[in-house]
Amino acid sequence: MISYKNLKIVAVLLVLTIVSCSKLHEDLRSTLTNEQTATSLGAAGTQLLLQAAYTDVGNPFTDVGQVFSLQENSSDESLVPTRGGDWDDNGVWRVVHSHTWNADHAQLLQTFNNLNKLNFDATNVLAFNPSASQAAQARFLRAFALYHLLDFFGQYPFRNPGDNLLNAPQVYSGDSAVQFIISELNEILPDLAAGGKANMGIANADACRTLLMKCYLNRGAFANRAAPTFDDADMQQVITLGNAIINSGTYKYMNEYFDNFSVSNNNSTEIIFAYPNHTGVSAANSGINGRWFATLHYNQYTPDNPNAGWNGFSTVADFYNSFGVSTPLHASTTSPWSDTSVDKRLGRRFYAGVTDASGQRPGLMIGQQYNENGTAIKDRKGNPLSFDPAISANMIETGANLEVTGIRVEKYPPDLSTGQASYNGPSGNWLVLFRYSDVVLMVAEAETRLAKSATLTPEALTLVNNLRTVRGAATVTSMPLVNTANVNDPKTFLAERSRELYWESLRRTDLIRFGVFLKPWAYKTSDDEKNLVFPVPNQALAANPNLTQNPGY
Amino acid sequence: MTTTRLLRVLLLCPVFMLILQASWAQTKNVTGKIIDEQGRAVAGASVIGKGSKAGTSTDANGEFKLSIPANISTVIISYIGYGTQEIIIPSSNEVAVTLHPETQALTDIVVIGYGTARKKDVTGAVASLKEKDFNKGVITSPDQLLQNKVPGLEVTQNSGQPGAATTVKIRGNNSIRSGNNPLYVVDGVILDGRSARPSVSIGALGGQTPESNPLIYINPNDIASIDVLKDASASAIYGSRGANGVIAITTKKGSSGPTKLDFATSFGVFAGYMKKYEILDAGQYRNALTKYQVPNASTLDGGKSIDAQDEITSDKLSQNYSVAFSGGNETGKFRGSFFGGRDQGFIKETSLDRYLGNFGGSYKFLDKKLTIDFNLIAGHTTEHMGGISNDPGSQGNLISSVLQWNPTQPFTDASTGYYVFPENGSGNPLALITGVSDIADVNTFLGNISAAYKILPNLEYKFLYAINHSSGNRNTNLYGWLQGYGGLSGLGSGSIANAVLSSQTFTHTLNYTADITKNLNLNATAGFEYWKSDFSNNTFSASGFNTNLTQASIIDIPYTAMMQDASIQNLPSTYIDPTTELQSYFARVILNYASKYYLTATFRADGSSKFGENNRYGHFPSVAGKWLISNENFMKNSTLFSNLAIRASWGKTGNQEFPAGASQEQFGFSSFNTAGQINVANPDLKWETTTAYDFGLDFGLFKGRIYGGFDYYNKTTTDILFQSTAIQPAPASTYWINIPGDLKNTGYEIAIGATIIQKKDFTLDVTFNYANNKNLLTNFYAPGTKTPLSILTGTIEGQGVSGTLGQIITNDQPVNEFYLKPFNGFDDKGNQQIGADPVYAGDPNPHSLYGGSISITYKKFSLTMNGGGAGGYLIYNNTRTSVTNISGILQGRNIDEAAYNSDEGPGSGVGASTRFLESGNYFKFRNASISYHVGNVVKYVKGLNIFVNGNNLFVLTKFTGFDPEVNIDHSNSGYPSRSIEYIPYPTPRVISFGLNFSL
Repeated sequence: MISYKNLKIVAVLLVLTIVSCSKLHEDLRSTLTNEQTATSLGAAGTQLLLQAAYTDVGNPFTDVGQVFSLQENSSDESLVPTRGGDWDDNGVWRVVHSHTWNADHAQLLQTFNNLNKLNFDATNVLAFNPSASQAAQARFLRAFALYHLLDFFGQYPFRNPGDNLLNAPQVYSGDSAVQFIISELNEILPDLAAGGKANMGIANADACRTLLMKCYLNRGAFANRAAPTFDDADMQQVITLGNAIINSGTYKYMNEYFDNFSVSNNNSTEIIFAYPNHTGVSAANSGINGRWFATLHYNQYTPDNPNAGWNGFSTVADFYNSFGVSTPLHASTTSPWSDTSVDKRLGRRFYAGVTDASGQRPGLMIGQQYNENGTAIKDRKGNPLSFDPAISANMIETGANLEVTGIRVEKYPPDLSTGQASYNGPSGNWLVLFRYSDVVLMVAEAETRLAKSATLTPEALTLVNNLRTVRGAATVTSMPLVNTANVNDPKTFLAERSRELYWESLRRTDLIRFGVFLKPWAYKTSDDEKNLVFPVPNQALAANPNLTQNPGY
Repeated sequence: MTTTRLLRVLLLCPVFMLILQASWAQTKNVTGKIIDEQGRAVAGASVIGKGSKAGTSTDANGEFKLSIPANISTVIISYIGYGTQEIIIPSSNEVAVTLHPETQALTDIVVIGYGTARKKDVTGAVASLKEKDFNKGVITSPDQLLQNKVPGLEVTQNSGQPGAATTVKIRGNNSIRSGNNPLYVVDGVILDGRSARPSVSIGALGGQTPESNPLIYINPNDIASIDVLKDASASAIYGSRGANGVIAITTKKGSSGPTKLDFATSFGVFAGYMKKYEILDAGQYRNALTKYQVPNASTLDGGKSIDAQDEITSDKLSQNYSVAFSGGNETGKFRGSFFGGRDQGFIKETSLDRYLGNFGGSYKFLDKKLTIDFNLIAGHTTEHMGGISNDPGSQGNLISSVLQWNPTQPFTDASTGYYVFPENGSGNPLALITGVSDIADVNTFLGNISAAYKILPNLEYKFLYAINHSSGNRNTNLYGWLQGYGGLSGLGSGSIANAVLSSQTFTHTLNYTADITKNLNLNATAGFEYWKSDFSNNTFSASGFNTNLTQASIIDIPYTAMMQDASIQNLPSTYIDPTTELQSYFARVILNYASKYYLTATFRADGSSKFGENNRYGHFPSVAGKWLISNENFMKNSTLFSNLAIRASWGKTGNQEFPAGASQEQFGFSSFNTAGQINVANPDLKWETTTAYDFGLDFGLFKGRIYGGFDYYNKTTTDILFQSTAIQPAPASTYWINIPGDLKNTGYEIAIGATIIQKKDFTLDVTFNYANNKNLLTNFYAPGTKTPLSILTGTIEGQGVSGTLGQIITNDQPVNEFYLKPFNGFDDKGNQQIGADPVYAGDPNPHSLYGGSISITYKKFSLTMNGGGAGGYLIYNNTRTSVTNISGILQGRNIDEAAYNSDEGPGSGVGASTRFLESGNYFKFRNASISYHVGNVVKYVKGLNIFVNGNNLFVLTKFTGFDPEVNIDHSNSGYPSRSIEYIPYPTPRVISFGLNFSL
């Protein structure tokens, strides 16, 4: 039996045991708590939080499978054919071009999440006592995210700083959604730094004006995507804001079109807002080299790198033909291009620092490709690497030429400033987000729409012809806005936007605003009205009951 | 405080030993002879005078002579493996003793967590394996000892690389996330379960390399027994970490007797692939070039006949040496062991080197009231890994380069001797072997010391302190002369990674036994435990070096020796995980009425720092009963049943395998001058709870000649830990939450063993086990709705199938159900037709597992054979989808024989579909061992044993890959995949030779 004395021993031991217990606390050790962030980092900490929001812009806008894919592959400018053993990827690329996506599409979810991460991080800055300038930049970045969410999904979720993240936030849709973005941008405009080369990497006043212009120009399209309207006051706003930028004298066209996209494009006088990248610096690099890898053939560039390119993204003959080049031209191999009659934006000219190092000629690539020595490149089967405009009707290549179908587009000349290291590694081209020529063309469009004219007004035509002249294209005497019977009609203003702004993640928005997004074009034969807006990703819908699935999905 | 006192005691320990050796006075001489049960002389048996410190051991004739104080009346005779006997010294002072094997007695002891129990008294489902039951042959980690040995225990080798991790599951999938591995407990010390070998993504060669086994520092030769705690009654004492079952490893201890030295060595050679992958040989390849009208076929024919699968295999010898010494007396025992060896990898230049030391002892003080036990394990392991990753993308890995190699093409250029790099991007396997160097060193220390004090004869207090510290370093070099790899070729890349894993345990237990009445016996245990674990990791990598960029100018200095010479310095990644602390109170009561009726009740309260502040403590109760029918009077005289018992148990256990820090709001730095919130905090986050029932039957027939058991279980896991979609806008795409939902595992297990023949010179023993498990996820809805949740996982890798996910975790399906587009045959052009929408396509979780063994002894020969397999599941052959598919032939790559023999045309294209689902059913002849017991040789060598082992002798399966026992990690966002095969490290057949003896 247990005696009293023994019980005492047991009791003492038990007490000892219990005393040795500690208050459980999870020490984070390499991350900070909210309080530590606020107190120990102080004002500098707010700048760090703002920087995180800036960094959020890089991935969703650079990656070829997010904003870029949704804007370009869904349009008449781009598609990714499946090539035998490559680029099937469970059909994700084909359904974007054929407008047969659904609410489980991975690119939609990724885009939704990444834009909302920008939305979140920008909002978070406001909870940490930002300066007026910091708050303005954060609100610009948030507006930038919200504008794209609204464009894609017709709605966006919104949290106030410090909201409980376990609660479903409110959702803005319809005109109040545009109106909120507009009011935000108008409020912050005075607090932003002036635009220009020095500030093109940060939220600046001209970037704010450009985003405002987009809001006003597209407001009627967001409200009624099937039949966009254009309010006079809105158009006047576009013109006023655009002229403020044009008349500031801050921007002028670059003589070399591709200097806007090359490794030295931070010297461009056309860029209003861009995401900075630096050669050889992996910190916050957005992976801009994916833009050329995605389109280049495996065998393009160096003999060490037969698999450097991904051999995917292509464009269609109708777009190529909109440049008015009737016969395929044969690039000379080593000497500079001498034909000045061709639109510079088509490319295919000798580009110093790239053509001499790789044989590549930025722009649209068609026909035989050469290396830096002028030797004709072969594909992996030993056939000539000669890009063929004809793509299989169902976008599934099974023939002997499956590696070479599709015209390629090298919008960003590869960074070869340190050879392979920059080509493969962290490349230094800045990602262009807003560009001067877009502002000019928006003004031209707004003037025409204000005049209720189907063709460009004289003022608008002047703006367009000035641009065409700089780009080496002949001036025109008349230009209709759009030909609804032929989306790719070269004579139209819509085609001019395409020639100037192709592969800059603007095309889907343009096609909707011009009322032709549901028209057939190459490798997209039929459509449905629901496709004017993307479905809200199913996962997001399940998480936030305040989101509403778009009609038809 | 307590620790320092104990350390002082430990330090004084050797002093005591010296003192105890000294001084005795008046003596008498005792002589005797000791024989075994077969009448053979026992040499080396220990003879000690009881109450004195004097002792000796028997000579080769089994005889001894001992001088002891005259007042000593008893001698203690002991010999390893035999029961210790106390013999009263007759007046003649001559003793004759026959020793009896104590294997039966040893078999009886089962580790039940914070204590042991006799097998007969255990109420839970516990499988206990002793050394003789283990798998034989090439063993690099303790879990391999158990493969196919325990019903309901599934051990899958994740990779053929020696030292690679295994997937271990007890009674099915208890969780939808990773963290399904059981809890490992070594000599009472709970392990963290992670490895300090840093994870590395081998950049351009694609993806994460297979994880390392966290137990490789434990010398399999040091393991005395392994207990597998399967039901809640057995594992609930481990509370919030017990849901996946517990594997308790007990290392060998010294025993009283003279010092003994055991030596063992073995050498292994490879005997080819267990199963080769069927690709075209040179002749078929040439035919294929014609059949498919491959352009430039003539330039593709290199004129040779090469078997790339053979060229990459190693012909080097594996060798292991181990030595152990042990000894002791009544009050102190010790054992030390050293192990050194290299397990050669089947693929050239891969290997696992292990240098392991173990020292432990048990010393008694204060009239044996105080027992100090200590054990130290120190291990140094070095892994040389090849360029084989789990998830290589379009450029594949070493194995894809083997399978795609044009079999008519020599690997090197005849004139320069340099490696040839085909322009089809397949890579050159021999170049990859030379051009990839990935070496990881891990140093692990596991030390524990405990002090047990008998306050009363039936009340014992025990304190245990343990530390497990492990640090790993890994240098990975990918040389720039390897051509054809974007981001690598012409640049080179190097990375250095370090990790530190450290955990500490403090345990106080109080054990009380009492006979409450004559028939009612009580055994009660109560305790407190504090456990803490830390993990940190850092990685530095760079690319763009000036050396080793062409084959003509290779120097023998790795990039990792000069990281500053790199044009691209990647951001270092350093992190320290939040410290995880657990503190727990536990209690267990075992009641035994007349050795007929048993009742066990356990309870544990676990507080974890990981849990959200609203749910700091979890409570885990269990109860179990057993009726030992064979002890009833009416059964006492049964000649049929020597043992018959029925058991039932119920209990709750937990799983807390989610990342530390998930419940708190965290702000992190991603690079210079950026900081941001990185997670969605959930202060309600808690453990996952598994409620389990078990009904069991144990039997022994004909005096134990036939024995076995049957168990039925039903487990339901609720409060499922889930990475839910974060409600955007949010700092991350997911966050951790417990959601309702029931993950059910039901099944039954049968184990049968029989001694069919038992004669003096000939015995035949067979065992067989079978387990059936059914896994189903139900009530799996989005929070607050009836919308079924679905999580897609199981990444299908390779060029052309990027972003494809092949498995789904959703309502009313087993976890990881295959979810693939249906394959609808070939059209008239030979193009594969794949349906538009994925369908539920089958279960990747084996429904049945079985294993068996046969042991035969004939005179001095013995033969042991072990085998087993799994059935009722499907494997996705990702290799066939994207590596050896038919389209490769157009680029001059080799393709698989099945595609070649099908109606498929070369332009068919790639696509993931049900076409590549294959039956996983297999039987594997895991190992066979023939040994010859030479016995004592010359004067000192005792018990010489020589043996030949064969491992992975053959496999019977319809699966077309290397090995149907496969689980390549294709997880997606933390959700594991199951049964996906993708260019894995192949499984070799190994023959090993060895011997062991004692001195």
